[in-house]
Amino acid sequence: MTTTRIAIASALAAALVLPAAAQAQGNMEKCYGVAKAGKNDCQTAHSSCAGTSKKDQQADAWISVPKGVCEKLVGGKLSTG
Amino acid sequence: MISAAGIGLRSPHLAEIEIDRPAAGFLEIHAENYLASSPALAAVERLRADYAFSVHAVGLSLGSCDGLDEEHLARVAALVKRLEPALVSDHLSWSTFGGRYFNDLLPLPYSEEALAVVVDNVQRLQDALGRRVAVENPSCYLGFAQSTLSEPAFLSELARRSGCALLLDVNNIAVTAHNLRLEARDWLSLPGEAIVQYHLAGHAVNDADGEPILIDDHGSRVKDGVWALFGDVVRRFGPRPTLIEWDTDLPALDVLLDEAARADRITSTAGGLHAARAA
Amino acid sequence: MPLALPDLQAAFAAHLAGADRPDLAAGVLGDAIPSAARLRVYRHHVQESLASALAATFPTVQAVVGSDFFRALARAFVAENLPRQPVLAEYGEDFPAFVAGYEPARGLPYLADVARLDWALNAAFHASTDERLAAADLAALPADRLLSLRLVLASGTALVSSAHPLDRIWAASQPGAPEGTVDLDAAGAHLLVLRRPDDAAFVVLSPPEARFVDGIALGKTLEEAAAWVDGEFDLTAGFARLLNLGAFAALQ
Repeated sequence: MTTTRIAIASALAAALVLPAAAQAQGNMEKCYGVAKAGKNDCQTAHSSCAGTSKKDQQADAWISVPKGVCEKLVGGKLSTG
Repeated sequence: MISAAGIGLRSPHLAEIEIDRPAAGFLEIHAENYLASSPALAAVERLRADYAFSVHAVGLSLGSCDGLDEEHLARVAALVKRLEPALVSDHLSWSTFGGRYFNDLLPLPYSEEALAVVVDNVQRLQDALGRRVAVENPSCYLGFAQSTLSEPAFLSELARRSGCALLLDVNNIAVTAHNLRLEARDWLSLPGEAIVQYHLAGHAVNDADGEPILIDDHGSRVKDGVWALFGDVVRRFGPRPTLIEWDTDLPALDVLLDEAARADRITSTAGGLHAARAA
Repeated sequence: MPLALPDLQAAFAAHLAGADRPDLAAGVLGDAIPSAARLRVYRHHVQESLASALAATFPTVQAVVGSDFFRALARAFVAENLPRQPVLAEYGEDFPAFVAGYEPARGLPYLADVARLDWALNAAFHASTDERLAAADLAALPADRLLSLRLVLASGTALVSSAHPLDRIWAASQPGAPEGTVDLDAAGAHLLVLRRPDDAAFVVLSPPEARFVDGIALGKTLEEAAAWVDGEFDLTAGFARLLNLGAFAALQ
């Protein structure tokens, strides 16, 4: 084994026997969780809000300006333009 | 009571049902929401100990002229094998063409040509699942000039030729009858022995070029006229397991259970009349 | 002459995608509600219900741009990208790329990365919880076997790397997020998305950790992936952390 191989092998092996305390810390590390409510569920219901208006609600009919959290996202080269 | 009404299991209610285990005749799930592994599927597997399940598919597209999507069929079959539900069903409609899925229950012309297609697809489905399935009457917003059969005649013939069961959605009868200027009582000519489940839901009244059109949005309590029609249906065909469906603007779980209790009361009264007449 | 069923379904499909099909309308019964209005009920439902499904799959994108803008973006996507199968939770894989090329969102260069994160979280939520690799599974392996091992990322595990502070953008977009701004000039972020037993989640990786994961995802052995990382990398701590997170699938 070359020195590099030996170094990598011992570093990997050390990870397998890391003290339990160090691993427990890993369990408590900051995680951003998402418990989805399944809103992309398939349904048999018909959307009544769509209506039957003659005008198709197509994107090219109008383009609105983004109005959301993006207003809190500041700086950056393009976002102010 | 065998016909105790069930409710559609919708994911926002899942945690509450898991904790409270409310009394319900059965729970219905849409097959397409449980084909992938997810925390929701794990919850359903836990609930199987306490509830009978009904698997209602929305995307098999039984009316597609290009046949069933075998990949999707295999996934639905695996779910059915896993959950062993009391009933498996889908709709008299189509939703796939040319490899595109439209997420809607699209209408069929009621012709011999369409009947042959649906019979083939239902038989393929029943073969793949190794069991009888139920086919539901859809809500329709249009009819085709080329139709030669009424919807009840089409469904009767479908059940006769394919051996499938029928799922009678009472709200869909009301919606279709209004929108297509038909008589709801025409559906009472269906073969009662083939009917294995009833569905109930609310509908919305929308405006179509100045005319009211009923939309099957499952977004409110069952309308009075539909309750009355449900009474007629139970008097005609007898009690069946009955489902309360609610998808749009989902209310508190108690509201669904309250609707289910109302269905049970009607079943009990009208079912008694059915039995008395049969005796 | 009425349309044969394959022609009728083809015409209906074209109508739903936005085409004008007089041949279809001619075969639809109309009265006080004309056939065209009846057909529109279906077209609008397809467009609206699919846009709603995208809103549920990409909640952070919607929070960033607001619901009006999202609706326009989603409708534009739906018009060109109808689903290929009926499971709506699996619809939208191409949405991040569409966002990247969506001209009206050009001023929000991070938006496509937000979409990639939403998609990865959605995919993780619907991924299987099959057996994860634990440190103990590898403890008995001789050194040369360990070095030549090619690990596989567990179901749902995905690396989402961004030139923008994606973790902070995501946090600021959550319901109930505290007031305050996010500095878009801050450094980029490497996020590791994971399927946990009851939900989906992500953690922030250091650049060397991300490069190590990337190497493994590309099919490199542990030795190759470790040697591939440039700069300071505590391989022991990094590998232990990833094992502890359940980032790898159990050995076959």
